[in-house]
Order: sequence, then C-alpha cells, then structure tokens
Amino acid sequence: MKNFRVIIVLIALVLSLIAISPNPFVEGVSIKNIKQNSSASLAGLQNPLPNTRQMSREIILEINNKDISSVKSYYEEVDKIKLNQTIFLKTNKAQYRLVSRVLDNETKSVDLGISVNEVSYTNIKKGLDLEGGTRVLIEPAEQVSKAYLADLTSTMEERLNVYGLSDIVIKPASDLTGNQYVVVEIAGANEEDVRELLAKQGKFEAKISNTTVFRGGKDVSYVCRTADCSGIDPNRGCSPFQGSWVCGFAFSIALTPDAAEAQANATKNLNIIKEGQNGYLSEKLILYLDDRKVDELNIGADLKGRAVTDIQISGSGFGLTEQEAAFNTLANMKRLQTILITGTLPVKLNIVKVDTISSYLGSVFIRNSLFIGLLAIITVTIIIYLRYRNLKTSLPIIFIMLIEIIILLGFSSAIGWNLDLAGIAGIIVAVGTGVNDQIVIADEILRGESRQIYDWKKRIKNAFFIIISAYFTLVGAMLPLLFAGAGLLKGFALITIAGISIGVFITRPAYASIVEILLRE
Amino acid sequence: MGILDNGLNRIKDVYDKKYKLLLIIPFALLIFSILQISYQVYSTGDFLNKDVSLKGGITFTVPVNKDYNEDKVTQHFSSRFQVGTSTRVLTSGGKQIGIILQAEIDPNNEELSQKFLKEIESYFGITDKDYSIEVTGPTLGRSFFVELLLASGLAFLLMSIVVFISFRTFIPSMAVILAAFSDILFALAMTNALNIKIGAGGIAAFLMLIGYSVDTDILLSTRVLKRAEGTVFERIVEAYKTGITMTITAIAAVTIGLVFTQSEVIRQIMFILLMGLLADIPNTWIQNVGILRLYLERKEKKMQVR
Repeated sequence: MKNFRVIIVLIALVLSLIAISPNPFVEGVSIKNIKQNSSASLAGLQNPLPNTRQMSREIILEINNKDISSVKSYYEEVDKIKLNQTIFLKTNKAQYRLVSRVLDNETKSVDLGISVNEVSYTNIKKGLDLEGGTRVLIEPAEQVSKAYLADLTSTMEERLNVYGLSDIVIKPASDLTGNQYVVVEIAGANEEDVRELLAKQGKFEAKISNTTVFRGGKDVSYVCRTADCSGIDPNRGCSPFQGSWVCGFAFSIALTPDAAEAQANATKNLNIIKEGQNGYLSEKLILYLDDRKVDELNIGADLKGRAVTDIQISGSGFGLTEQEAAFNTLANMKRLQTILITGTLPVKLNIVKVDTISSYLGSVFIRNSLFIGLLAIITVTIIIYLRYRNLKTSLPIIFIMLIEIIILLGFSSAIGWNLDLAGIAGIIVAVGTGVNDQIVIADEILRGESRQIYDWKKRIKNAFFIIISAYFTLVGAMLPLLFAGAGLLKGFALITIAGISIGVFITRPAYASIVEILLRE
Repeated sequence: MGILDNGLNRIKDVYDKKYKLLLIIPFALLIFSILQISYQVYSTGDFLNKDVSLKGGITFTVPVNKDYNEDKVTQHFSSRFQVGTSTRVLTSGGKQIGIILQAEIDPNNEELSQKFLKEIESYFGITDKDYSIEVTGPTLGRSFFVELLLASGLAFLLMSIVVFISFRTFIPSMAVILAAFSDILFALAMTNALNIKIGAGGIAAFLMLIGYSVDTDILLSTRVLKRAEGTVFERIVEAYKTGITMTITAIAAVTIGLVFTQSEVIRQIMFILLMGLLADIPNTWIQNVGILRLYLERKEKKMQVR
C-alpha cells in the first residue's frame, strides 16, 4: 500500500513528462500559418490545425540549403529570394519546392505565405500575456440560449479558418450575473481583422426593389476565391477619386436553385432600359452587408425572369495611393467572401474589450518567473532544513514540491491549457499549500514519535484531517472564480484547484508513505 | 544560552498567562484596518483603489531602453489630456525595461483614444507593434468589479461553510472565520494606505489569502479541540511550531516574488499575500488562540457548575 502510493506519483510524473515532452535541442522555426493561394500552400505545405501540439508542429530547417536557426535568420533568407525563383525548403517532415511569387494583396515584395514562430522546447502553451497576441471580449447584443452561443462560436471559428487565421481560441463565457460573452484569443492577429470578421454580424443580402433575393450562407452554394474568377475587377480597375484612389473588386458565386428562382421572380416584371447595344433592367441589384449598402449592380436585360445561378458580386475599396486602394479592396473582398461562405451570425455582437499584447515583455516575464521560482525553491529548502535538521523529513518535502510543479505543468499541457501570468500565480499557491501540508504531516509524524503513538495510521489520519479541511476551504474559495467575470480569472482558479487536488490526492499520501518508510528503518 | 532560554521562557510565560491582554494587538490591527477602509470610503467613495481594468480605461505596457521618471511621464500625459493617469516602471537588474501607463480614458471616445495612442508612440519613439494595449470600457470594468466582489463574497461564504462542517461548534468556527476576515481587511487597508491600485489579479490574491490564512487556523483548532494529549497550552505551543514554519516559508517565498518580479500582476498578488500572511501571525496565534482559550475556560466553568 505504501509503495503503491509512491508508484502512483511516479506514474503521474512520467505521464506529465510525456505530456510536456521537453526537448532543448530543437532547431529551426515552427510554422504558424500558411496563407491560401500562396507559394507555400501551392507547394503542399499545410496550415497547422488549431489543436496541434507545439512539439508536433512542422519546423522549417533549411531554405536553399542554408540552416535556419531563428525567426530573424528565416526572414534574412526570405528577403534574398527573387520573384519566380525556385526555392528548396526542408522541414522536419518533408522537402518542398516552392516557386516564389507576389501575393496579390501585397505590394511588390515577394511573400512565400508562411508565417513563423520561434520553436518551442516543450508542449507547455504560453498564455496571451506571455506570448503576445490579441484578446477580444465580445458580448451578444441580446440574451441568447446556450445552443445559440455554441452556434455563434462555431461560425466564428469557421470564419477565422476560412480567412486563414490559425492559433485561435474561441470560447463562450458567462459570469455570475448572467451576462454572456465570447472570448477570442488570437496569437498575433491584427485588431482590424478581428473587428471585421467577428464583431460583424455578417448579414449579407442582395435586394431588388427592396425585396431580398438571396442571402449569404445558405443561399450561396459556391464562392470563387481563385485568381481566375476573383480579384480586382478588370472592367473597373483602379481610378483616382476625390483626391484619393478607389478600386473595384469582383468575384463570382453560385446560387442555390431556390435562390435563383427567387431572383427570377423578382426580375420578371421589370422594364428593360435600352442603352447602346446592351440593355439593362429598370431596378438594380443592391448588395447590403449588415444593413449597409456595399454596392449596386445593373442587371443585364437578358437576365429578366431567368433563374441563373452564376452571379458576380462586386464592391470597392479606397486608399490614399493606388497601391493602398488595391490592398484595401482585396482585403474587403476577402472578408466579404469569408462572410458569404460562413453565413450570418445568429445575433448582433458588440466588442466590449480588446487587449493587444506585444510579445516583447512576455519572454522577460518567463525568464523572470523561472528565476523567482528557483530562488523561492532554494529559500524554502533552506528554511525546511533549518527547521528539521533531518534529511529524511526535509528532503522528501523538496522532492515532492518539484514533482508537483512538473505534474501541474504536465496537466496543463495535457488539457491544452494556456499558461499565463495568473496561471503562474496559481502554481505558486498550489505549491505553497503543498509545502504547508507536508509540514503538517511531518510534524504530526514526529509528534507521534515523541508521544509514542505507535499507530502510524493514526498519526497520518490526524494530519489528513487538517489537510482535507484546508483543502476544501481553498477549493470553496476558488470555485466562484471559475464562473465570474467572463472567465478571465478562470485559468488561475483552475490551475489552483487542479494543483491542490493533485497535491491532496496524489502527492501528499506519497509523502506520508515516503517519510514512514524512511523513518521506520 | 542561559539568558536566551530565560528570555524565551519569559515570553512563553507572558504568552501563556496574559493571553487576554495580548488580544489587544490583533484587535488594534483590526480596528486600524476598519478605520483605514472607512477613511478610504469617505475620501474616495470606494473601499479600495481600483485600477483601470476595474474602472474602465486603457493600460499601455511600453518597452523602453532608457530610464524615465515616473512622475514626469504621468505629468506629461495627464496635463496634456486632462485624464487620470498613473505610471509604473518595470525594472530588470536595475535597468528600466518597461513602463506601464494607465489612463482613465473611455475607449468609446475614439478620437481621444487615438490621440493618446499617437502621443505614446511619439513620446517613447515606438510603433504600435512594440507595445501592449489593454482596453476596458467603463461598463465592463464596473461589471467585472461587481463580479469579482460577488465571487469574493461567495468564496468567503463557502469557506465559512467548510469551517463549520469541520468543527461543528459555533465559537471556534467563528474564531477561524474572524481570523481570515482580519487578515483580508489588513491586506486591503495596507494596499489602500500605500496607494496601490488593484486590478483583477489583486482581487484573486484576496481569494488566495482566504486559503492561506485559514490553514494555520484549522491546524490550531484541530490540535486544541480534537486532541487530548498534554495541556491546552502545550497543544497550542506545538501547533505554533508547525504553523509558524508554514507561515515563514510562505512569507519567504512571497517576499522573493515581490522583490524580484517584473510583472505588475504578480507584484500586486505578492504584496497582498505578504500583508495578509504578516497579519496572520497575530490573528492566528493571539486572536484565534485567545478566543479558543476563553471558549474552553467558559466551557469548563459550565461543566463545574453542573
């Protein structure tokens, strides 16, 4: 039984190490995101799935036989690449041949369409305040059911995936007073994208004489996103407009037969207006996004009363220069395409909080936390030794403290939890409580010794009454935080509860057994 | 050695005999805390010093590579924009590495927010990629505050229930709860007195304090009430040996965190924990001990009368 408790701890330790899978010798840069239609995606590189563990990510090792050791060296190599050059890219999984090209929405610079991160040495996921990124708190404009909220988050996820952003966490959250929120965390996305993609309800409607003929989402069976049928509209192009520039975009979509029928009904009674060789109908097709007019299109006379499924969608964008206008136009097009594919969100949304965290201080905080952790462990070790002056009692306390930290980190890697500053605070509480509990056990055992209580069970039982009562008070204190304030302190509460539970049910019994085995000899 | 032993015995003697008189110390601390908090409410309308994450506003964390004067930075921004501004410096190895600037700007006022952003960028010579911005609207800030207050209340209630279930006697249970309450009030009064602003992380620290302060009290009450070996005073002294080791290790770890951390969140948490742990020593070993002994004496007298 005594050995059994120790074995459980060892098993937990091994499982944790597997979950963390530390490897300090990883080299290269890890792939964070692959842009659609880029050189990289055409060469077969795949966007990592959102739940891919850090240590299973694809890592770029070489570009054109040059070793890549950091994000900086990656970009140095990429900057050397010329247009239409063939590039050999070696990753830890395969070798690829890329042909460099200019991404349509970029300026003249060559872009392979890969965004990279420094490699991770463990599976421990860093939270936003350590890693950098954008966190947005979104509130539905009206109270919705749980199922609705789930719908909402899945549509959002789809939107971001279609748009090509990875590394996203989207989770519904609520609070004690019944407010509902959606928390979105994206590593490195820009705020504008999030605003446009998530907070927009994305109600897309096409109307003819004020009757809706089709909507985004279910009425649309296909949206073209390849260069042959989407991009800057060749008929409109870019032109100067009131001191700035405006460009037009166009892409084709396919309607479902039902939607095409609705369009035929709406056009069959319209008059034809002749203009030169072509005629068009007396009413225009007007496109709305969230009740705001995006564009209006003339409908060719030959479409009158016909149920056509292929439709051109168009719109425009502005900018101070021609380049900027083209860039904005294509960005608008991409968002509109995303919205047409994913459909309308079930409710209107408001962004209530936006945090944009730079990654610069994150690494400082991590190094600092490790330093403090180490210093704290050394200090606690000294105090414990001075108190007991007996290695058989004090050494296991230190030993168990270290094991607890590893198991807790393993636990958070295994459930894919992001470790942020609040989480680190949670680890501190849990480990601190752990040390306190072991002091109680040690003293009960030693007291039993001096009072000649020969029944070990009784000594340990005495200690555990105190430990269990203290455990439940702390769990009670942390429980409300799991549900309060849009879950922003949930990480802290969860890590604390997990940590003290691991302590009470796994490592504390083992400590008692270890001391018993050592002292009985 | 003899003198030291003599001194120790004297202290032990006072601790044993004069426990009623000693009760003045923890209750003086409690009264100080209550007065400070009342003063805070009277002068600011709030019982604690909320930062912008609970009040609404924008927090900027700016990396720097030369030293800035906190007051000058605050002065610069508050005089230019006429909004409440506060500045804190992050240092590493004696060098400044970052500045945290909190401004009470309503983020719905986009014009002002944008102007402020531009001013930050030009003042520190950085671009928007380099710094962090955390934005909280005033409504959300208020709602967070209410939420966390509610959570703290519930946490305290749940803790009290667990204590009552553990001991099943009114006065000893209340003594444990009072000790935790006194710890929290003292920590709160000290953050107010030193004008430290509290965000969500700080409130989490008060909840941690519930856990940290209660365990020594549970230890004491268990040893005194549920054991039969030795006299009450002997049991108290033994519990004290265990409890003070727990508190000292915690104080040591927390102090290291407080001195060396570069994160504002962790600093806040560590400060609150340190104050609470310091207060926990008199609140457990004088206040809770005193109440327990009075309770046991009364109980004994009643038994004799019967």
